[in-house]
Amino acid sequence: MDSTSVSQPYEGSTTPPPLSGHPPALNRMASLGNIPANAKSKSFNIVETYHRLLREDPDLTMPVAAIEALIELLGQSRAVTVYETLDLVKTQSDYLKSRIPNSISLSAGTDLFQRYMINSLKPTSTGNFETVRQHLLSNGRLFVNRAKAARERIAAYGQHFVRDGSVVLTHGGSRVVGTLLGKAAEASKSSGNVRFKVIYVMNDARGSESRAVVSSLRAKGVPVATISEGAVGYAMGKVNLVIMGAEGVVENGGIISRLGTYQIALLAKAAGKPFYVAAESHKFVRLYPLGQYDLGIDQEVIEFTTYDEKASPEMDFVEKTPMANEKEEYFNPAMDMLKLRSIGDAVDFTPPALVSALITESGVLTPSAVSEELISMWYS
Amino acid sequence: MPSSDPPPMAEPLQMNPALVAAQYGAKAKGKQAASTQEASTPAPATAAPEEKKLTGAELKKKKQEEKAARRAQAIASKQVDVASPIAEPSPAAPAPAGSTPAPRTDGQEGARTQQRTAGPVSAGQRNIPVRQKQKAVAPAPIVPGKEDKTVEFFRHLYKTRTTSIAGASKEIHPAILALGLQMSNYTICGSCARLVATLQAFKRVIESYTTPPGNSLTRHLTSHVLSPQIDFLTSCRPISISMGNAIRWLKLEISKVDVDTPESEAKENLCNAIDVFLRERVTFADQIIAQSTADKIKDGDVIMTYAKSSIVQRSLVQAHNAGKKFKVIVVDSRPLHEGKHLATALVGLGMDVKYCLLNGLSHNIQDVTKVLLGAHAMMSNGRLFSRVGTALVAMEANEADKPVIVLCETIKFTERVALDSFVHNEIAPADELVIPGGALTNWENMKKLQLCNPMFDVTPAEYIQMIITESGNVPPTSVPVLHRLGNESQG
Repeated sequence: MDSTSVSQPYEGSTTPPPLSGHPPALNRMASLGNIPANAKSKSFNIVETYHRLLREDPDLTMPVAAIEALIELLGQSRAVTVYETLDLVKTQSDYLKSRIPNSISLSAGTDLFQRYMINSLKPTSTGNFETVRQHLLSNGRLFVNRAKAARERIAAYGQHFVRDGSVVLTHGGSRVVGTLLGKAAEASKSSGNVRFKVIYVMNDARGSESRAVVSSLRAKGVPVATISEGAVGYAMGKVNLVIMGAEGVVENGGIISRLGTYQIALLAKAAGKPFYVAAESHKFVRLYPLGQYDLGIDQEVIEFTTYDEKASPEMDFVEKTPMANEKEEYFNPAMDMLKLRSIGDAVDFTPPALVSALITESGVLTPSAVSEELISMWYS
Repeated sequence: MPSSDPPPMAEPLQMNPALVAAQYGAKAKGKQAASTQEASTPAPATAAPEEKKLTGAELKKKKQEEKAARRAQAIASKQVDVASPIAEPSPAAPAPAGSTPAPRTDGQEGARTQQRTAGPVSAGQRNIPVRQKQKAVAPAPIVPGKEDKTVEFFRHLYKTRTTSIAGASKEIHPAILALGLQMSNYTICGSCARLVATLQAFKRVIESYTTPPGNSLTRHLTSHVLSPQIDFLTSCRPISISMGNAIRWLKLEISKVDVDTPESEAKENLCNAIDVFLRERVTFADQIIAQSTADKIKDGDVIMTYAKSSIVQRSLVQAHNAGKKFKVIVVDSRPLHEGKHLATALVGLGMDVKYCLLNGLSHNIQDVTKVLLGAHAMMSNGRLFSRVGTALVAMEANEADKPVIVLCETIKFTERVALDSFVHNEIAPADELVIPGGALTNWENMKKLQLCNPMFDVTPAEYIQMIITESGNVPPTSVPVLHRLGNESQG
């Protein structure tokens, strides 16, 4: 690690360090290489690609969509040197991050991909840049496929946490949790001894998503009770375990997840119920929040006002989130993002002390193991 | 029974053999098994009938026991009426013990010393368990006896501090002599400053070193030159964890020198290696830590810090220079008042600083947004070893749900674990606690009064949110990982 100490000022940030050795040269290359690259990729809009990918495949998570968008970018770019490529990816990642209201989850993907690129471009191979690029492209696809397969593995690990007769509490639209519970339900069908129930915490702001999750579980024969967010404390006594998804897993093993997770975790802790998080390891973010207001994003959840703008907030609310075109609205970049954030897309931070274990595709980790995983990923 | 000593010289053999055996067992386990010694204290006065039953081999041992017993007796003087189960032989024991009072002390003290020098036991052996504290108390003329002022919990930590070059061996390098004294009187204080100063001094030692004929540098330097220097430094003030890490590294570095390398080249390489080590592990590390800490400080923050840490100061200054608007609350405590220096330096830069002592902590904690702490060492179980009082600040901050951030270079990480601050600590002279002219001025003569001045305490890992190191920000659970990467992979 001593040899990398020159580049370590960058380690604290969420962007990976530049290639060690020639930072000035890299900067020079950046300014030169930028212009043609940007001109060439005029036709290619990374933000649109990102949204398109998410729209096309509902199973895609944000980090993976970001990685796939970057791979598409790489496929279309005419960059001819390593530095040019790295710089292109970096500028485009930053651009993408700046255009997405909550870039935490997404930045896990772009950071990981940049790190991966730096690693694979490092051993200054034979000089033929084109082969290096092809190698990157094919391996990048491999990366995406692996990330998708991760969900299945997590479900395989996680289904054993759901025991016969247990009551699982969950909320949000996490696809990992959905897969996990689905797998557990299948197991109950085949072996006939795992019968579990689910208490699902409805989210008013994202009603359609909640209803979709509930009906898909019921379709698999799992009895589901839906409760409002205010009833979590009341219901906790009947719960055996809590399983949540996460948008991002931060460096100290805490999670960033849909608004409301933190309070459920607190209640679970108070009641002594295990709180499990199912998340792929590509959601590990280089971020270390100290509290709710240290996430590096500006969420206007708490807004003080003396101006009573809405006569009946509930009515207005229903108008604001029509079931049919909710998704479209979400993916419409022109939409008022701040308003959107304050409604259904806000996140909170659950500290590691409240998390019993993280179920990832590389096994079940304690929160403290996340930090070790990240250290080995970034300092090796 | 004030400090009455065991029977006079004429009857040094009157100990119950069973008792000796019991004490011997205790000794074998650890000299400081104070309870055993306490239990046995009434013995000398009671066991008279069993005179002359000791074998020659036991005799030597017994003399040491006698001394330990004397010491323990002084401590246990107040408990002597609680009859010990081992010392049952004479139920009348307390009476004679109590009635052999002080007048003897002086004469006997002299007699004992005489006997010692003349006796068969070497002075070296005699000196092993001596506590400096007792020596300091010795000349007390008013009170008939002297009370042991050693605090029992910390007994194993009391060390004689070398405070002058008198008696230093001639092989100690002048640079080391100077450094030792500077450390001893806190002129050079702080884990990092001491580390840097030590390595610089070792550089001078290496520069002035010539391999004696028939020896190789690799084999000779560490054992015959470096070791005495280290011993001398340790005698001035116990070496810090970071110094221990650095010394281990230096020894490894020396052992790796090829025997065939010409001496001048080997010396130059070693000096260069020290320079590189200092640059990478301290200079650059500090820069990076200061930068990432300054990044963490936001406009409107109120930063609390305790005592003075050079890296905390540096980070605060860096954030201030970057134009951040924040307040600082410096919490401080006696006896060193290090925080005053920090507060002065920050005020000098035009920062908004509030200074309070530990007793103002709970009042001020509510306004705080972040607590920044320096470290003496980070233990492998994630606990922070730092200036005494730190744990209080961290606990209070945790109670008030304020994030506690530790700033620490990885050179200060250690594989050791600490569960409490008794096992491993440093006891500073208790006189530092005494305010001249204050109520405690004459404390050494006050009966049943003990002063304790530990230097460090241990902060539980649960109170710490984050450790900022040069290898990134990590939770306390990752200390062993970084320690492995940083301090043990440097082979």
